[in-house]
Amino acid sequence: MQSEPKISFIDRLRIMRETRFGAFVPVLLALAAIWTYFGVALPVWDYMGDPTAENIRFIFLSPRNIYNLFMQSAVIATLAVGITVVLLLGDIDLSAAATAGVCAALLGVLVLSGVPGWTACLIVMGVGMIMGAAQGVLVAYVGIPSFVVTLAGLLGFQGLMQKILPTGNLNVSDPFVRGFARVLLPDAAGWALAAACVLVFAFFNVRKQNYRREKGLEVEKSIVIWGQVAFFGALMFATVATLNSYRSVPLLIVLLMTITALVGWVTTSTPYGRSIFAVGGNQESARRVGMNVKRIRVSAFAIVGLMAAIGGIFGASRFGSVSYTAFAGGSLLLESIGAAVIGGTSLFGGRGSVWNAILGALVIGSLGNGLDLSGASAADKLMFSGVILLLAVAIDAVSRSGSTSR
Amino acid sequence: MSLSKKPVGRQAPPPHLRVSGIHKRFGGVHALRGVDFEVARGEVMALVGDNGAGKSTLMKVLAGAHPASDGQFFLDEKPVSVNSPNDASDLGIQIVYQDLALCENLDVAANLSLGDEPVKSGWKFLPKLLRPLDDLEMEVKAREAIDKLQVKTLQSVQAKVGGLSGGQRQAIAIARAVGAEGTVVMLDEPTAALGVAQTRQVLDVVKRLRDTNHAVIYISHNMRDIFEVSDRICVLRHGGNVATWKTAETTPDEIVIAMTRGLDDEATNAI
Repeated sequence: MQSEPKISFIDRLRIMRETRFGAFVPVLLALAAIWTYFGVALPVWDYMGDPTAENIRFIFLSPRNIYNLFMQSAVIATLAVGITVVLLLGDIDLSAAATAGVCAALLGVLVLSGVPGWTACLIVMGVGMIMGAAQGVLVAYVGIPSFVVTLAGLLGFQGLMQKILPTGNLNVSDPFVRGFARVLLPDAAGWALAAACVLVFAFFNVRKQNYRREKGLEVEKSIVIWGQVAFFGALMFATVATLNSYRSVPLLIVLLMTITALVGWVTTSTPYGRSIFAVGGNQESARRVGMNVKRIRVSAFAIVGLMAAIGGIFGASRFGSVSYTAFAGGSLLLESIGAAVIGGTSLFGGRGSVWNAILGALVIGSLGNGLDLSGASAADKLMFSGVILLLAVAIDAVSRSGSTSR
Repeated sequence: MSLSKKPVGRQAPPPHLRVSGIHKRFGGVHALRGVDFEVARGEVMALVGDNGAGKSTLMKVLAGAHPASDGQFFLDEKPVSVNSPNDASDLGIQIVYQDLALCENLDVAANLSLGDEPVKSGWKFLPKLLRPLDDLEMEVKAREAIDKLQVKTLQSVQAKVGGLSGGQRQAIAIARAVGAEGTVVMLDEPTAALGVAQTRQVLDVVKRLRDTNHAVIYISHNMRDIFEVSDRICVLRHGGNVATWKTAETTPDEIVIAMTRGLDDEATNAI
């Protein structure tokens, strides 16, 4: 029936997204487009239009702004990583930001009452997990759709946060909590870390390639492997160089990357992660091969709760305060779900990656940051975010409809 | 139709799985009324019958999905009991349901080892669920399973199942069933939704199963497929046996008549 070997654009898109690294491409393109627009096009446009300007000022791409961008996106990214895990199951969590708010508020109150910072952080992480797991139990064992359970959670936790913080905000000055955002790695340590990451990445890739060859499996071309290593290396070193030229690599970013790497490893390389993908792809199939679908659901919601708590801690650390609007009442929830989806994680379950969520968070963060810099109003920001989100979901829907038609 | 053709009787190979006097009641409905059925290793036994004849019920009883109300199971002539799907799979009885139950978002290798993923050794301090997957082992196993069934059109075990054809999916579902140490493989309408070329592919896989000494139970409505692939044909009607024929000694017409009208002298015992 297909006599012509012509591949349509949508087919190309589909094929690309099937590959391991191809899934990064759309979100990377989006990021590149946004950065080019705000970083290069707008300044040049301003310079051309304003004859009094001395020289072009690339504010957006200045190291200082990139540093702020990373820090701004960190909380969104933390939540987005957690939300990605439930999205993989085909569920959704609308309560993540409210959970983060409750956890941050609790943290503030605990620290104020004299609990040491690290104990307070551990308590708050435990509370977040319990909040998530409780919602998971309602979804898995009682059978309420996750949308409804977490919508109830969103409302309930917003109220809970107001109960904990009757005044609406609270300063957090505990040095341990503040340390996450304040501590900077020395320049040399940043470089060493980047080099170590690249070496480890290359080592694992090469070793895997050798094993594959030994066992007589299909091997990828070595140019692909080294291309990936080079790309990853360039990304790492460019990031470290940029951050170092303003201040240096903040501990917060290192922690975020470590946590993401851990969650990424669990979801892609363990039987547990495989079962998450299996449930998202075909629940019936997962059940028949003996997976405990209900327990997997609950655990995934516990992971979101934990990530939300960590997001709350990061937020409290960065802002130096806990306020209702910064978490539960603000745009954090929609931004983090948007980040996960823009990263290419399917709302229908079974496809996505936590690394894409980080990139998605950067897209959302860059958009907000860029529009702020160019003096756009809050209304413009909202509308732009809406368009980007819609585009991301459209890409998901189009590439999905192609792959399920038989 | 001459009576001598009808029962296979003593000339049949020794059965691997044999059930006798299977009754199954669903409340007031008496779905199976004392069915005898057997399948030997290295043969394809077709199970045919009109809608409501009890094919699916018999299959589910054999797979342990519905425990039988009454009746005996023998594996290599030793009495066994099958009351749950786990009992059945412990005895090596595997079923490929019509809906296949594959995860389209995962690749072929992942689907073949789903629920029993190999993990790397040496991570004993982690719980089983969090040990690193041995992807390579998974692929090697998948490759072996696919090669054993000679699924020629499948290029790579790293391909996502969502991008495969219906025939390839069926083959992978069969490979998954066989891979789990299965000796008896039940196929429910494996070619129902497939085109000509893909049907061919699945029939080739079924023949491969026979050649590798599996006992295959093949349920279908398609006479052409049945006559191509089966060694014996067991006809059910109204929840009872009509008879079992050797495929080489019968004709589609005879089978269709047996399915719809039964045999004159068997009619009494069938109802």
